[in-house]
Amino acid sequence: MNGTRPRLLPALAALASVLTLAACGPGAGTRTGAAPVELRWYCCLGTGEQADQVKVERAVVDKFNARHRDIRVKLEVVTYNSARDTLATQIASGNGPDVVGPVGVGGAAAFHGQWLDLGPFIKSSAFDLSTYAEGTADLYRIGSVQEGLPFAIYPSTLYYKADLFTEAGLAEPPHKYGEKYRWPDGREVEWNYDTLKELALKLTVDKNGKDATEDGFDPESIVQYGFEPARDDLRYQGAAFGAGSLDSGDGETVKIPDAWADAWRFFYDGMWKDRFIMTGPVFETDQFNGDGAAFFSGHVAMSVNFLWSTYGVAGAGTDWNLAAMPSHDGTTTSPTSADTFRILARSKHPAEAFEFLSYLVGPASGELLSAYGAMPARTADQDAFFGKLAGQFTNTVDWQVVKDSVRYADTPHSEAYMPKYNQTLSILGTYRSRWMTKGGLDMDVELKNMRDEIQDVWDR
Amino acid sequence: MTAVPIRRRAPMSRMARREARHGFLFVLPWIIGFLAFTAIPMVATFVFTFLNITLSESEPLRFVGLENYQRLFGDRQAWASLWVTARFALLWLPVVVALPFLLAVAVNSRYVRGGGLLRVLLFMPYVVPFVAGALIWQNMLVDDGWIDSALRRIGVAHPPSWLNDPTWVIPGLVLIGLWGLGSGIIINLAGLRGIPTHLYDAARLDGAGWWRRLRHVTIPMMSPVLFYTMILAVVDVMQYFLVPLVLFDGSGDPGGATRFFNLYLYQTFFTFQEMSYGSTLAWLLFVITLVVTLLLFRLSRHWVHYTSER
Repeated sequence: MNGTRPRLLPALAALASVLTLAACGPGAGTRTGAAPVELRWYCCLGTGEQADQVKVERAVVDKFNARHRDIRVKLEVVTYNSARDTLATQIASGNGPDVVGPVGVGGAAAFHGQWLDLGPFIKSSAFDLSTYAEGTADLYRIGSVQEGLPFAIYPSTLYYKADLFTEAGLAEPPHKYGEKYRWPDGREVEWNYDTLKELALKLTVDKNGKDATEDGFDPESIVQYGFEPARDDLRYQGAAFGAGSLDSGDGETVKIPDAWADAWRFFYDGMWKDRFIMTGPVFETDQFNGDGAAFFSGHVAMSVNFLWSTYGVAGAGTDWNLAAMPSHDGTTTSPTSADTFRILARSKHPAEAFEFLSYLVGPASGELLSAYGAMPARTADQDAFFGKLAGQFTNTVDWQVVKDSVRYADTPHSEAYMPKYNQTLSILGTYRSRWMTKGGLDMDVELKNMRDEIQDVWDR
Repeated sequence: MTAVPIRRRAPMSRMARREARHGFLFVLPWIIGFLAFTAIPMVATFVFTFLNITLSESEPLRFVGLENYQRLFGDRQAWASLWVTARFALLWLPVVVALPFLLAVAVNSRYVRGGGLLRVLLFMPYVVPFVAGALIWQNMLVDDGWIDSALRRIGVAHPPSWLNDPTWVIPGLVLIGLWGLGSGIIINLAGLRGIPTHLYDAARLDGAGWWRRLRHVTIPMMSPVLFYTMILAVVDVMQYFLVPLVLFDGSGDPGGATRFFNLYLYQTFFTFQEMSYGSTLAWLLFVITLVVTLLLFRLSRHWVHYTSER
């Protein structure tokens, strides 16, 4: 016994010293003297999950943490496919994150009513909104709630392969909005979806070299398609023909906008009747599905898509370019995606979360936008962005088309909130998939059934 | 009138009490697990069915009576998804019950050489994680995949679009399911090995050929095993979920043809964020499974033969 006491005392003294030192560690040196506030940044309801992007996101977090000893941010990356369900589960279990993003209009609408109103924080911090084009901040205002700050925008344009036009002896589509299209015989016609369809038929070619307007054309052996709409979302397809919403305005009655119905008929007939758009099964084949977008395969002449599809467009070759969106019934629309970061209303640290959010859309925005391939919402940063983007491609691309497209953004936004948002999306997704995989359907009946089905859900 | 003496249970000895206590301690972890992860959640979901818990709409919590059940009857998607499950069951149940039995009979036959190797080969796929198996099958069933290429080689000009055609996707899922038949084969093999050989000897003496021995000896003797695999298959079909979730990201594609009831239930909970209505769907699933299982038990009296007394 006597032998152990002398060893025990120094050990206890050492332990006390360690505990004292631990108490005086980094946390004790913060501004308030308390432990740093822990924030969780949840990604990726939109872009942001690629390894290169995550690397940038982590670097951005590290920089923020280094500068703010009173706030510790932790990045949580959940892949897009399961991000929505995971976030829903986290919120349900009372374990929601603080900051969420980048998230688009649709991703945010799926969690309608759960975002923090940033208005009071913008006011108290005197956040400068004058650096954005007028009305840009309104993209993120839902009713009276300012859910986000402008960050990234992705206008839609028409991607096309110039060599396929040259090969067919056709002029390229116009780059300037309002310009007409010129046929080889000298005719000048309005640049609209009727003209696009005529072009697409000529640019759809079978293995024998016959185009879709010629006798003997074999639709079962097409090697090149004339047109590819953005097929991920029927609302986007509709908005490319004209802005609208399924909500007739009263928040209770479903009405399919005429332009959307026209767009969906165009899509369906293009696949199963006119054959200048690939059907679902063809779209899934290795030959035409180039990294998720048919245009990237190099076997499609024209495609409507957001700016973000520059991520894989190099797969289409070195002769692609951008043209103006076609009009429909005299109206031109460029569906525009708008990503930003949002704060959950249930965040326990809204002030700190707003500080971090201001950092993401402010000092860190350059690095993040570059990683996401997104056009800055801040007008002063746009030229530098396009300069950098142009450096990624060997061909000369008319980026001015993108800048001009901003004027034709869809209002109301196609992804804006509507009643029973997720259920409605599910029904739209089912019809989209059905149309892509089943020929011989009567579109009038289909549209009526779709409307009735959505109305049923809204009536509950 | 004479009083009937009441037989009292003999008091437990000290040792018996100790043994009972130890037995209880051994099953306690299971009881805790059952209460925490099955019984209490079941009661909770039943209570939820009478409330309006939803994450997507910020409504105050209130008692809604039978509103969720009323909604269920008018929910087209719920009935459509139940029909998807039923269609799959009609095709899958005969396959999952009959095929392992027939393969086990074949492997067990004295005329088949290399039975041991066959057993290993047939069981091996079962060891592969199901998600990995589903993804491998996806690559085999895509439009330019191995199966279509093989069909083209044997002269089928336009082979089915297994995963993209609403008509062919259910047969495609059945094909994928064949991957997991290994355990059924092993169970059937164990059953076959348990049939007394004197029954076959007697049948042979009576002049019964292969078919009559199968029909009058093997099938009746195997009926408890077949019944067991059928019950498991029914429960599995009602819970079928993983493969369509993995292959189609839970979208129900193509055209809603793979929106199984359990998938719709999952969507209702986690995508639509409607916890109360999701609970109502879960209870419907439970009731249907219970009714079908009880029905099968009732019918089993007519065709399942137990050799020992119960």
